[in-house]
Amino acid sequence: MPENNHITIVLAGQGNAGKSSLFNNLTGLHQHIGNWAGKTIEKREGTLFYKDYTIDVLDLPGIYSLTTYSVEEVISREYITHHHPDCVINVVDSTNLERSLIFTLQLLELECPLVLALNMRDLAKNRGINIEYNKLQGLLNTPVIPTVASRGYGITDLIDEILKIKGNRSSHAVHRYGKEIEDCIGQLTSLIQINEFAYPARWIAIKLLEKDKDITKLVGDQKPEILGKTKELSDHLEEMHGHDSSLVIADERSHLAYQLTREIETILPNRITSLNDRLDAITMDRISGYIVMVLIMGGMFFTVFTFGNWLSGLFDTMFAQFHDWWNNAVGVSSLASLGWAAIESVLALVQIAFPYILPFYIMLYVLEDWGYIARISFLMDHLMHKMGIHGKACISFIIGLGCNVPGCLSCRIMESRRERFITAVLVTLVPCSAVSVIVFGLVGKYVGLLWALGLYVFAMILIFLVGRISSKLLLGEPVELIMPMPDYKAPQLKSVFSQTWDSLKEFIYIAAPVVIVSGILIRAIDLAGWMSAISSFLSPVTVNWLGLPAVTGILLIFGILRKELILVMLAAYLGTTHFADVLSPQQMITLAVVSMFYVPCVATISVLWNEYGWKKTLIVCALEIFFAIALAGLVKRLLDFFYSAG
Amino acid sequence: MIAEKRSRLLSEMKSGETGLVVAVAGGKKATKRLADLGLTPGSLVRVVRKTLFSGPIHIEVCGSKFAIGRGLAQKIIMDFNA
Repeated sequence: MPENNHITIVLAGQGNAGKSSLFNNLTGLHQHIGNWAGKTIEKREGTLFYKDYTIDVLDLPGIYSLTTYSVEEVISREYITHHHPDCVINVVDSTNLERSLIFTLQLLELECPLVLALNMRDLAKNRGINIEYNKLQGLLNTPVIPTVASRGYGITDLIDEILKIKGNRSSHAVHRYGKEIEDCIGQLTSLIQINEFAYPARWIAIKLLEKDKDITKLVGDQKPEILGKTKELSDHLEEMHGHDSSLVIADERSHLAYQLTREIETILPNRITSLNDRLDAITMDRISGYIVMVLIMGGMFFTVFTFGNWLSGLFDTMFAQFHDWWNNAVGVSSLASLGWAAIESVLALVQIAFPYILPFYIMLYVLEDWGYIARISFLMDHLMHKMGIHGKACISFIIGLGCNVPGCLSCRIMESRRERFITAVLVTLVPCSAVSVIVFGLVGKYVGLLWALGLYVFAMILIFLVGRISSKLLLGEPVELIMPMPDYKAPQLKSVFSQTWDSLKEFIYIAAPVVIVSGILIRAIDLAGWMSAISSFLSPVTVNWLGLPAVTGILLIFGILRKELILVMLAAYLGTTHFADVLSPQQMITLAVVSMFYVPCVATISVLWNEYGWKKTLIVCALEIFFAIALAGLVKRLLDFFYSAG
Repeated sequence: MIAEKRSRLLSEMKSGETGLVVAVAGGKKATKRLADLGLTPGSLVRVVRKTLFSGPIHIEVCGSKFAIGRGLAQKIIMDFNA
């Protein structure tokens, strides 16, 4: 029967355990491998053909427990209990065994067919951690396979084990809590019939005592009389222990994990751990940490922009020749012009993607894979708190420096909706590489590098102020930072490239269609001859308030597509790339300020729209346009004052 | 000499000190999340380092390290031998 040869397995585990690497290795699909807690949110599926079997693999989100704290946790436990996968693979971080076992114990309570993959055994070995796999297997009565997912070690052993136990549930050892808790569990399970709920009776009893919201509601709807008993028992537990019954159970569970770990794990003093501690002493120190951070981030920027300007220059020459060829081959007509608008949009994307965004992300993900980005979150947490968000938001800001699109998407790492939104709005104010092209190409080149860097400082201060204001306006309790600090490890090329590709893919898939369509649209408006009408319509703002040439009205409209187009089109309209001949330093700075803040580009707007709805998106855009214009006008007046005074 | 037993907040501990958690008075979600990481009443916590001003605290619990915000550390009551 073909049915028997088709099985479903799911991967469950805590963040950073290497679940994604294992998934890639099993299915050959690419996806994120990250250091950030709880980064995997999308549902990832793949298929593996092994021997005569077709194995569907589902990657559950990386989580820390199976109690309703986040959406991801609910997704995971619902899937396991409702879809009855043939096997659940618990991916365990061998270097964090004790913490990981807390989660394993919760999986065992779900009484699903389980195999433990003790991943990263190589790293554990290097750190002098010795684990007795057979003993663990015996204690849990569950198969335990050591693996190194990133290098494919142990994978076939793992699949063979899955095939052996598939569908075979509830054979695991039941770990017992303390006597009082077991008494309570016993009393509750006697009230629940087997198969009455989709979940095991013992698990229901534990979750009731843990005051799990969903399960309490489920039981309350079907058997309200059980809730009374639960209340009585948990009050009793609270009286005895002096704290909440959910904590009493959590405490006992982590104590069980502690005992298990002590029995199977021995740690020898070693070189790697002490190297890690020494690195942390420098990179997380209250003084040298910040110096190192500024050096690393500054070095990264300097490298990216030196390389980017060089490559972008090469592309310029190439694309100019291509345009000449196009004009000769297709001729000059309205249709040809529209066609070129589409191609030009693609070229503009290429010109920003390869010289700037690609190297930026490669360097960023090397730092992330190494473990450094978590250190930045640590160092910046205090400052972030003043904006009503916490240190993890820093990760989104840094990604946003490359491109706002993946920057806004990465806000999903924030725990609450309120923080996600604040972070996303602030990311739209982060100067992305396209904006940096303007800042450095205009202000940096013709006014002075210090002025350009000054604009960055200005942007940082502004983001800080906007953050402060929005955290005051958007009510809600700020979430505190709780973030695992992974040890430093050698960056793996494979994972750096797959993450870079993912970020670039988001940029290409989301940005490209929007940019091409709007590119053609704007060119059509241009061909219809409405541009001069638009620029004179906007001239009260552009000419009178901002003191810029009337043509900037058009530039700012094109800039919504891709911000760097402002610079490209400025050259086209003014007929020179030597901007100092046509613009005063004050005008260049004013133009740069407007470009930095006036509105997120279309691609970013579409992300905001998807994630937060059109209402919030429109409000953000309208506010930013108004605010940027007001601000740039003030900057202009200030500059005029100082220049005339000087 | 009998070591004097005192209790204070995790946020008041110095770098390098180890203590036993007596109670976690944070919000429900944060308390749960800490419990998932192994920080419950009765667990041993070592302060690895603190930051300048009132930044987060780098701690070690259950053999793994993480960072927690200072506000949360002010809600974790510790018991240790001074």
